[in-house]
Amino acid sequence: MRRVDMVLSEKGRERLYLLGKSWIFLFLLGEAVIFSFIGTGFFSAKNFQNILVASTTILLLAAGETFVIITGGIDLSVGFVMGLFCVISAKIIVSLQALGFSPVVSLVVSIAGTLLLGLLPGLLNGVLVAKLRVPPFIATFGMYGIAYGLSEILCNNVPIAGLPSLVGFIGNGYLLYYLPGRGFTWFAPPEGLGRGEVRALLALFPNVFLFAILVVLIFAFILSRTQFGQHVYAIGGNIDAARRAGIPVERDLIRVYMISSFFAALSGVMYTLRFVTGRADAGSARMLDSVVAVVIGGASLYGGTGNMIGSIIGTLVIGVLETGMVNLGLPTYNKYVYVGVILVLAVLIDQFFPEMVRKGE
Amino acid sequence: MAYSHFGYGQRFAVQLGRNWVALFLVILVVLFSFTGRGFFSPKTLNNILLTSSPALLLAAGETFVIITGGIDLSVGFVRGLISVISAIIMRDLYARGYSPSFCIPLGIVVGLALGLLPGLINGVLVARFRVPPFIATLGMYGVANGFALRFSKGFPITFLPPEVGQIGNGFFAYFLPGRGLSFFARHADIVEGEMRNLIGIVPYAIVVVAVLLLIFAFILSRTQFGQHVYAIGGNIDAARRAGIPVERDLIRVYMISSFFAALSGVMSTLIFSIGTHTQFSASLELFAIAAVVIGGASLMGGKGSIGGTTLGVLVLALLEIGFLMSGILPFYRYIAVGTILIFAVVIDQTFPEIIYE
Repeated sequence: MRRVDMVLSEKGRERLYLLGKSWIFLFLLGEAVIFSFIGTGFFSAKNFQNILVASTTILLLAAGETFVIITGGIDLSVGFVMGLFCVISAKIIVSLQALGFSPVVSLVVSIAGTLLLGLLPGLLNGVLVAKLRVPPFIATFGMYGIAYGLSEILCNNVPIAGLPSLVGFIGNGYLLYYLPGRGFTWFAPPEGLGRGEVRALLALFPNVFLFAILVVLIFAFILSRTQFGQHVYAIGGNIDAARRAGIPVERDLIRVYMISSFFAALSGVMYTLRFVTGRADAGSARMLDSVVAVVIGGASLYGGTGNMIGSIIGTLVIGVLETGMVNLGLPTYNKYVYVGVILVLAVLIDQFFPEMVRKGE
Repeated sequence: MAYSHFGYGQRFAVQLGRNWVALFLVILVVLFSFTGRGFFSPKTLNNILLTSSPALLLAAGETFVIITGGIDLSVGFVRGLISVISAIIMRDLYARGYSPSFCIPLGIVVGLALGLLPGLINGVLVARFRVPPFIATLGMYGVANGFALRFSKGFPITFLPPEVGQIGNGFFAYFLPGRGLSFFARHADIVEGEMRNLIGIVPYAIVVVAVLLLIFAFILSRTQFGQHVYAIGGNIDAARRAGIPVERDLIRVYMISSFFAALSGVMSTLIFSIGTHTQFSASLELFAIAAVVIGGASLMGGKGSIGGTTLGVLVLALLEIGFLMSGILPFYRYIAVGTILIFAVVIDQTFPEIIYE
């Protein structure tokens, strides 16, 4: 077998190494370019924003999952924890409204309460994993069952309806609206639009995605720039060494699982805002997608590697694929095959490509 | 271990820690026989065994994988894929005028043979390309799901030959009070009113499952290959140094797992007379893994047995049917399963250790 270093010069090898590191970004670009050429209306500000909004669930779940996977764990509960808090947030709004509170008050209380309660499953997962040494797969799978059962009981197996229209106004609204000739307005389109004007209206920055990406970027900062973030990598790299180095492994692990369930709860709230309903199965299909996004983004399930930017790109790879295929009118079942193949390819490339190149050094 | 130095009390405690699942199973049976009406009847027993047989097959295959320290997430969708494929073969050949005695066996055989393929791919990825089992089988999970949806167009496959259901739901013997036993087929000229009293004894499906479980329990516990499986899970590097053909054995293990998944799929086609593929697979693979772990296996590998897995599956099936018969909402079952799973691992990890200390 001819080795790469015999064929390539020093510079070429370096480039190839970079390619192996950042191929997933190129893959995403390739995806976008292909769909722009063969899809109709794919290349438009509106469609790109649609992709971002549609990816919000995976993005938030993947952000939390990134922390867990970097520690070498896994959180299987995020999908149903998301469903649980989707139901809880909707239920709080409905019950507060029934008590006579205004929509604004009930919405604010619901969001704050849900996010606070959202730390609980993570606390339980974290204690089980860190203190009782239950394997993460088992602890979070137990929580998967508990969260699903609880949410179905809470909503009696019927999606929660009867939410105020304010919820949908925020969830499906945009930060900025631009009407050619009439300028910008904030939060709501200008009033009294004609039919032609509605079509010309350009909505920018969807609220839901904007808020989600803001939180994700804050946690990206925490992961890459704080001491806690370094601890997360250290725990995933070698947990015994981390313990010997005086890192409070148990406390940090519990925090990591709480971050993951916080993101799941946030994702549940966002779902309630967007679809104006509380569903127990809101995130059931998205749990594995989020793991896939993190792994495509360069994390290893053995822990120690991964980063938030990678996870965001991984999320977009899935989001662009989904939206692009719907756009082309292709049946969605192909998506499952492609995502599965991309996942395995991602790991194969990560394992062999850089090593093959590095061997020449 | 200085096990023989222990007093009776300590020995009892160790045995309890090891066999608590069996004890738990007995407690569940007693509990449900109080709360559920008509729990103690041959019909309920048959029901429990029939509901658990597809899960039992998935869990048996998963046991091999988990003992090697791996995991197979694809079994739920491989089951669905093979169920759909075998049903399509039976339907299409039957529609072209072939006799049921030709198209049913063909559907079964082709389904089982194709069922080895996902395992081969998983095994090669895990053993030769060192892809983590979680990833390799998660990839197969997506691929199998996609193909099953493509073949079935998202709908169950119907219009199978009517004999399919007779095989899947048949019994070795039927007992009708007042008219005695009849073997393999129902009593001739049975009247509508008598149907209700008819008792089926020993369903085919359960016999097939039981025989296969015994064979593979034997393979796991008594053959060299079985020892290799444990050795790989205990310490894969040591196993390699000891000259065990780790790659070949790992590939076989994943093929066993997907063979069992395929068998489960074929069996569900036979029992329900339709090729079913549930989207999201109803989390079948996760319940199979739960059963294996409740049965005493460790996800770190090296531990587990077919007997333990059988107990684990029975616990889950008993919970399902017992809750149903006691009028408890089915959602409580998920909470119960989650809690038991966590408890199982906590008990396995802490209980024997506390005693040894």
